This record gives sequence, C-alpha cells and structure tokens, in this order.
Amino acid sequence: MLPYALIPGLPLAAFLFLALAGGSISDRAHRIGIPAVGGSFVLSVAGLVRVALHGPLEITVYELLQVGGLRIEVGLWLDQLAAVVLVMVTGVSFIVHVYSARYMIGDPRYRRFFALIGLFTGAMALLVLSNNLLVTYMCWELMGICSYLLISHWAGRLPAARAATKSFLVNAVADVGLGFGVVLAFATYGTLDIREILAQAASMSGETVSLLGLEIGRNTLITLCLLSGAMGKSAQLPMHVWLPYAMEAPTPVSALIHAATMVNAGPFLLIRLSPLVMLAPSAMVAIAVVGAATALYGALVSLTQSDIKRLLAYSTISQIGFMVFACGVGAFTAAVFHLVAHGFLKGFLFLSTGNALWQAGHGHGPAMDGRSGSRRLAMGALVLACIPPLLLFAGPYEQLWTAQHSEGARAAFWCIALLAVFTTASYTYRAVQRLFSPRVGGAAPQLFAVNKIPAVALMTLGAAALMLPLWSRFTEFLGPAVGQGGPPPRATGISTALSVAVATALAGWFLAHARNRRPAANPVGQRRWAMRLYVLFLNQLYIDELHRASVVRPLLRMAAWLRDHVEEIFLEQVLLRAGVVRLALRLSDGMRRSVEGAVVEGAIQGLARFAVGVSGWEYRILDLRGVDSAVERATQAARASGRELQRREPRTVRSNLLIAVCGLVLVIGLAYWWIAA
Amino acid sequence: MPSFVSENLLVLLIAVPFLGILAVVLARRDQWARYLAMASSLVSLALSLALWQAFDPTVPGMQFVQRTAWMPTFNVEFAVGLDGLSMLLVLLTTILTPLSVLASWSSITTKVKAYLSLILLVEGAMLLVFTAMDAFLFFMLWEVTMVPMYFMIVVWGGPKRIAAGLKFVLYSLTGSLLLLVGLLGLHLQAGDTFDIQAMAAATIDEDAQHWIFLALFLGFAIKLPMVPFHSWLPDAHSEAPTAGSVILAGILLKMGGYGFLRFCLPILPEVSAIYSKYILWASIVAILYGGCLALAQSDLKKLIAYSSISHMGFVTLGIFAFNEEGIQGSILQMFTHGVTTGALFLAAGLLYDRTHDRQIASYGGLHRPMPRFAVFFCIFCVASFALPGTANFMGEFLVLVGTSYGSLLMVVLSMGGIVLAAGYMLWTFQRVVLGRPASSVAASLPDMTPREIATLLPLAVIVFVVGVFPAPLVETMAATVAQIVERAGNVALLAVPGG
Repeated sequence: MLPYALIPGLPLAAFLFLALAGGSISDRAHRIGIPAVGGSFVLSVAGLVRVALHGPLEITVYELLQVGGLRIEVGLWLDQLAAVVLVMVTGVSFIVHVYSARYMIGDPRYRRFFALIGLFTGAMALLVLSNNLLVTYMCWELMGICSYLLISHWAGRLPAARAATKSFLVNAVADVGLGFGVVLAFATYGTLDIREILAQAASMSGETVSLLGLEIGRNTLITLCLLSGAMGKSAQLPMHVWLPYAMEAPTPVSALIHAATMVNAGPFLLIRLSPLVMLAPSAMVAIAVVGAATALYGALVSLTQSDIKRLLAYSTISQIGFMVFACGVGAFTAAVFHLVAHGFLKGFLFLSTGNALWQAGHGHGPAMDGRSGSRRLAMGALVLACIPPLLLFAGPYEQLWTAQHSEGARAAFWCIALLAVFTTASYTYRAVQRLFSPRVGGAAPQLFAVNKIPAVALMTLGAAALMLPLWSRFTEFLGPAVGQGGPPPRATGISTALSVAVATALAGWFLAHARNRRPAANPVGQRRWAMRLYVLFLNQLYIDELHRASVVRPLLRMAAWLRDHVEEIFLEQVLLRAGVVRLALRLSDGMRRSVEGAVVEGAIQGLARFAVGVSGWEYRILDLRGVDSAVERATQAARASGRELQRREPRTVRSNLLIAVCGLVLVIGLAYWWIAA
Repeated sequence: MPSFVSENLLVLLIAVPFLGILAVVLARRDQWARYLAMASSLVSLALSLALWQAFDPTVPGMQFVQRTAWMPTFNVEFAVGLDGLSMLLVLLTTILTPLSVLASWSSITTKVKAYLSLILLVEGAMLLVFTAMDAFLFFMLWEVTMVPMYFMIVVWGGPKRIAAGLKFVLYSLTGSLLLLVGLLGLHLQAGDTFDIQAMAAATIDEDAQHWIFLALFLGFAIKLPMVPFHSWLPDAHSEAPTAGSVILAGILLKMGGYGFLRFCLPILPEVSAIYSKYILWASIVAILYGGCLALAQSDLKKLIAYSSISHMGFVTLGIFAFNEEGIQGSILQMFTHGVTTGALFLAAGLLYDRTHDRQIASYGGLHRPMPRFAVFFCIFCVASFALPGTANFMGEFLVLVGTSYGSLLMVVLSMGGIVLAAGYMLWTFQRVVLGRPASSVAASLPDMTPREIATLLPLAVIVFVVGVFPAPLVETMAATVAQIVERAGNVALLAVPGG
C-alpha cells in the first residue's frame, strides 16, 4: 500500500524540493510545505481508519544494505500505535506549518526554515513507521541534526549557536547508548527487524553478556541502551540540559520539538519495543526511577522560572518524565494517551506563547499583578492540570500502581507521583495565568491575537484527545501493538486512586489560584531555608554547571594537555629519536635470525643506518636549527650512502632494490634544487 | 575502436594520467595545461566508471588481468588487475583527482605545469598501487607516490613547508624501507616470486611470518597512519596546498589500509590474527587520541588532519575484526572518508585562498557573507562525524557491528570517538560559520564561485547518495571481502579477544 509510504514521503519530498530550489521560491516556501504536511496528515487519518478496520499494514520500500548476516530493509510498519501517534505528529506539524507561514514572514531564511521543518516532520514520521532498528536510529539522529539547524536558525546570535551545539552534543552522548543498543541487538538477535526482535526477545531472557566484568542480561542491557537514547532525546534527568537552551529557536520550532517530534521519540521508542522492555524488570525500575525523578524535578523547577518559555520547557521535561514513568511501570497505553494529549496541548501553549511574545516583544513574562485572569482561563488551567492524574491513574492502570513489587517501592512511587501531580497543577496554572492575564501597564492581550486559528485548532484537538483515556475501547485498540504488564485491564471507572490523584491536582491548582489572588513581594517569604531552596530550583539544581565542570572542561583541558605534552614532547622527540632506531634494530635482528640468507643483510644495514640518520635529522629540524642546511645535508648523506652501498656490495639483484630506494632520495634532493631554485 | 578500448580498459586507465603528464608538460600556456590536466583526469574518471560498469561483482578474484614480463630474470612482472577492493579505491582516486585539479585552477599561479603534472603523476602511481598484482610493482609505485607529494608540500605549501615536507619524506622512507624488507622477506619465503597471489598460496615459515608481518605492518601503519606513527600527518596535511591535502588525506592514506587487506590478511592470516588484539586496542587509542587532539586544535587544516587519524582508527578496527561486516565497513570507511575529508580540505582551501589564514578564530559568522559555503561546510561537517543518512555512517556502523563480535567494550569506546567527532566538528562549524564575524575581513568574504561549487557539489551528492543507497558499493566488494574473510577467518577466530 504505497500511499501510506507518502506519510513520511511527502514532507521529505518537500524538504528536497525546497533545499534544491533556488532562491526564487524563497517567499513562497510555505506553499510547498503546508500542502505536503497537510497531505500526510490526511493520509495519517486515512491510515488510522484503515488500521482500525483492517488491522496493521507492512510496506517494504527498498533494501538498504546486505553485508554478511546483516540485512537492512527500509520498511514501514503501520500498526495501531504508529497510526495513533502519526495523527498527532502530522496534525501538530501541519498546524505549526500553517502558523509559521505567518509567524516567520519576512524572515531572510524563510525557505531554509520550511525545508527543515519538513525534514523534521518527515524524519519523525519515518521513525514512527520504521520497522527496523537501524532506520529508527537514522531518523533519530536526523531529528537531532534538524533540531541543531533549527535552533541555530538565527545564526548571528551567539547564544543560539551555542545552544544548538550544546543540544546536539548532549544528544550525541546519549545516543552512544542507543547506537550501542542497536549493535547489541544485532549481536543478540541476528536481525534488526523490530518485529523479529520482539518475537525472539522472550527466548533470549536467560542470555547474558559480560561487559567490564559484569554479567548483564542481554534484554536488560538493550533496554537500558534504549533508555539512554530516550534520556537524551526526551530530555530526561540528567540529560535534560539541552531543552531549555533549545528555546533559542523560533517559537514554532519549539512547538514542533516539544509537541510533535523530538522529545516524543524517547517514550515512543520504549512503547514500540514494549514487549522487550517488559522482559527486563530491573531495567523497568531504572526507567521508572528516571521518569519519576524527571517529572518531579521538572515540575519543581518550572514553579520557580520567570521566563515563560523556560517555564514551558521544564514543564515539557516534567510531562515527558510522566510518560517515561508510565513506561517504567508498564502502563504503555497510558503513555500513548499522555503522549498524544500532551502533544496537542503543548502545541497550543507554545503557539499561544508565540502570540503573546509577538505582542510583548520580549521573552520574559510580566511580573504577577494583582488582577486575576478571567474565569475561563482559570478553567483552562484546571483542565490542563488534570491531564497527568487522569492519564496515569485512570481505571485501567490502577492495578499497575498497586501491583508494584515491594511495599517500599510502591510507597515511593505514590509519593513522587502525587507530589509531581500537585506541582504540575500549580505551575500549569501559573503558565496559563501568565500567558493570558492582562499585562502590567498594558492592554490585555487578545487570547489568540496573531494567528488565531491554529491555536484554536490545537486546543480543540487536545480537548478531544483528553477524551481518549476515558474511552475504554482505546486500550483494546492499542492492545496488539503494545506490550501489556500486570493483570489485564479492567473496565474504566472512578476509583479511589483516581480520586486521590485528581484531588491532589485540584489542591495544587487551588493553591496557585489562592497565591495569585494574594501576591506577595517575595515568592517564598522570608524563611531562610525556603529561599535557599527557591534559589536552588531557580538555578535548576545547577546541573548544567555540573555538566560543564565535570565533563566539558576536563575534556578540553585533557585535549590541550595531550596536544602540548604528549604530542609535542613524547611523540615528536622521544619516540622518534629513540623509538624508531631501537625498533629498526630489533626488527633487523629478528629478520636476520629468521629469514635465511644474507640477502636481506644489505637492506637491514641500510635500514638501521637510515633510521639513525632519520632521528638525527629530525632532532635538528625540531630544534629548528637551520632547516635548509638539514635538507642539504640530507641530500648529501643520501648520495653518500648510495655510493657507500655500491662500493660495499656487489651489484646483486637485492642491492639493486636498495639502491632504487636510496636513488629516490637522491632524485628528490636533485629535483628539489631544480624546482625550488 | 570500441573493442580495443573495452578489452584494455584497465591499462588505458593507468596510461591516461601518464599521457596527461606528457600533454601538460608540452602545453605552451598555463591555461592550456589546466584544460589538458582536467581533460585527462576526466577521461580517467570515465574509464574507471566504465570499468565499474563492466565489473562483475560476483567474481571474488582479480578481473581485467593484464600481464607482461617486465624483468624476467628477477621474476618481476608488470601485472595489473582489479578486484572489489581495488575497484572502490580506483573509483575514489579518479573522483578526487579532477576535483583537485579544479581546486588548484586559480589558487596555483606559479609553476602551474609542474604542479598539474605532479597531481597526474600521483594519480597514475596510485592507480598502479591499487591495481598491482606484483609486489615489486606495488612497491615501486608506492615509492613514486611519495615524490610528487613531497614537492607539492615543499614548493607550493604553507609557511612551514620545508620542515613538514622533510618530516613527511623521512617518515615515508622509514615506512617504505620496512615495507621493502617485509616484501623481500616474503619474496624469499614464498619461493622467489613477486606475484601476490602466489605469495598468498605459499606456506611461510611460522617464525619468519612474525617478522615479515611486523615489517609490513609498520610500513602500512606509518602510511595510514596509526598512533603513534602519525606525527608526520598533521604537519604535512596542514602545510600542503589544497590539492595536496586532498590527495594526501583522500587517497594516499588509503594505501595503508589497502596494504593490510592485500598483504597482511590474505598472506599472513595466522600472524595477523595473533597480533589483531593489540592492533584493535591501538585502533581504539587512535580513535580517541586523534579525536581529543582534534578538539584541541586552533588551525582548521590541522583539525581536519587529526580527525583523519581518528577516522583511520576505524579502518584498522574494522580490518582486524576479521569478519565481513568489519572489513566491508573499513573499505566503505576508506572510500567515504576520502570523499568527506577531501571535501573538508577543499572547503578549508577555499577559505585559505580568500584570507591566507588557517586559524579558526579568524573566521566566524560566515553564514551571512557566504551562505552557499555555509551549506556545503555543514554537509561535510555532519558527514565527517558519521551522521546517519550520510555516507560515513554506513562504514562506521558496519565497523562497529564487526567489532561487536569480538568485544562490546571496544564498541562503546570507539563510539566515544564518534561523540568526540561530533564535538569538534560542530564546535568548528559554530566558530567558523555561526555567530558574529571575528573581523571585518571575515564579514565581507565573497561567496563561492561557480567553479568552487562545481568542486564541492559532486562530493556532496556522493555523501548523500551513498548514505541512502550504499548497496552498489557494498555489492562491488562483497565477493572479494568474503574471500579474504574465508581465507583468514578460520585461523582468526582463535585469536580475536573474547567478550
């Protein structure tokens, strides 16, 4: 069914066309990009319907590689999971495209911008559809470079350039894990076809692999590798540092990164390989811990941020943390719900931010003022605040929560999750409040001033997505594509867990609302510990600085040390002067003993003599004592050694060979004078 | 006469550069010489493409074989032939040569004819090295490649050219002497023959094998170069003129890898397997050490040179992994590294032509005055650190898969080299292209001319096409590599480090 291959194909074709087209198209680039992504959105919806009616679909595009036992086919696997996620990806991307056509107007790199967001969308769509781990990895990296190029869109700004490099490099470090996982998966299963891997995974449960003396289960290690990749791309602790910096990108790109593409790739990968993940319980604990820690950390930090875009960045970190957490406890369908709903709603928030910033003309949200926002906005915040508890604690998953392995772990998960829900509700309220409340000393901004329709569309879609978890058939629909953990899901209903979680969220929302009505001059009051804590979270726990001090600077310092000491002193002088000579003598000695006959004798003597000469000359050159005279002496010495050899040895075959070599030196010397003089 | 041409494609291919030299020398004006050199290198390219077309990828052995007695008394033959391994390197050579000629079109103004004939001489010699079936022929031409390179560095090079040239020659000569000793040893042990295939078939004394292997290995390792024999390379690369750097990094280094695959593995498989453990670790050291040093460079060409050392580490890593994935990956890596590093040197060269300054810090903000340059430079930077979708990724990925059979730790460590590569390449890109210009000179540089675009565009196309459709190249060498592995594989399995 080739038409579905056009889902990634259309945006990629748009990219190619825009990249190769000359400057003449520059102002009309959106006329290529929008229909292409629109087309792939329509096809995605058609694909969803097709899958819902007739089941999954496989499409083989072409064979990429066939080496030894390694065979890579670029193929698409459109199943329930891919279909659902694709609708969200192409939908948000389409709206971002429409939005950007206005937002980026007049930009000197308009064409480049549209080409790259097309590539970005195409890469994500292909990643979602890919049925081969290597192709997944390729798309994964392709998105990395897209984000690099888009973050540095305003290339003249040094912060943007630095942010771009930083975000790519943090991802590159994390991707070592994923790349290793791909290689290890091939070594383990002998194939990179995702479905074959999943089919074989169960039989590999007992297999272990030794790394650095540790025996690790193969499935566990592969899952941890996937987690490492997900930690980078999806900005999980402690690899999250790049995401706040990525705000240097134009706002539509932020919407794309946070809602449709990039950060969703991590949870998606874990969900895609969920049957494998389920087989590695210890790795699942790691996933859950990373997710929970990130969710909490992101929520706490975003409570303290004053820059609206940074606030949203940490909120994304926190929300993706929830998704990863859900994967870690085996609630993969919940993660899908969350992924889709968060995609639409974050897209809405970013496009609105773009509108607000467009009006405000600067990147910082206004200070809180005493007037409250409209009631409608407060209600909007309430809806947003309830997403995480609704998704995570809704009926089907309650059992997952109660079915944790140990009492302590269960309690810890509950505490972290509820705390995160609470803070999420608070900061969501703050974010919405800031975006839409009347400004200090200015007119109240219109809700969707610049580009109303896209934002409204996203809000509607997001609200529609919110209905998903309550629709019990959805779990059944996704069931075949996703690994299931724990006992089978039971019917949806209002349970104790859900009520507790929603109540916590409401409490958080109410607290923020109350604070907003009675603003204090100081956000945390006068207590010393509270202020310290506030500053700590305001600076994101100094993790960024920690990275710089523990990785970046030592690495650069080591590189400089290697350059100044090892390379200069050790290699240039010691090794060449002593090493080469000794090496040559050892070698000639060994040769003489094992290779019979005196035939090579001449060659060996020449070699030794030559090596001594080499080190002598080199020594002089490095001392920079008369380079030219060294050249002269070299030629003379070569000539002399040639004569010497002729005198000593009869003109045998073998000495002729030697003379040929020495003659070359001679030729070089002579020709040097001829050409240079 | 199509039949004559099609029957003697390989010999014609080899003869064309030498005829080109003759034409260039006889040309009366410099401009004519340029056109003639260009024409000759394009004819070579066409012939090598025709060869590739006629090449039968299912045959593991030599094709298009031509033999003539050369020095019958010493059993030396002029014997040339192509197998999958040679084919790719011949293609690489003929692709990069016209671009080198084009790159020196206006930047070389003194002794143009001499310069162009040196380029063609290297091309001819390289083609013979890659196709020689006779060890003596191989060695002779191996030596010949050194001479033109030396003059290109010393006569047309940068400010420290004489020291750099001398260092290059001294290292190369040391390497060649070791190689000579090794080849002579082989010649004696294999029963007075220089025929490479006969050498592979002969049984060689166990004890002698060690010494012969070491001599050959060191000879090739200096050329490749492997750490710690690399210190000639950064100087030579950075002082050479653009075309010199391109040929040096793009083609000449590959002779080392070619030597391993042509001599060490097929002729001395047992000993190669014994030493492979140490060589693999040395490769890891080279990957990381080269990467670290590239990170510490402030000179653009030196940075690219150190990155070559790191990438060549992947080549040896794959070769001595002793399996099809690893070796195919290495050969692919040799090809793609030639393309991308050649392109990076071309890009650095066109900046150097404008400012005569190689310091990274003197540039910055080039995206505004030179948008086209920014695009090309970006493509080759990301290709250089093996971004998936570009040509280099396939090679490095295959090498990693090959390595994974032996040791997973090595896979992880060598992936550290990829991260380092991403680090120094993107950091360089940031410092050169993004941000604000460092000086008023950098702010007003003219963008690429059509001729410069013509130099880089073919390489950019190759980078993407091979990145997405590597199958044609992989198929070309598959049978040859399978044969090498089959021959070396059984013994090798015993010695590859477990894990």
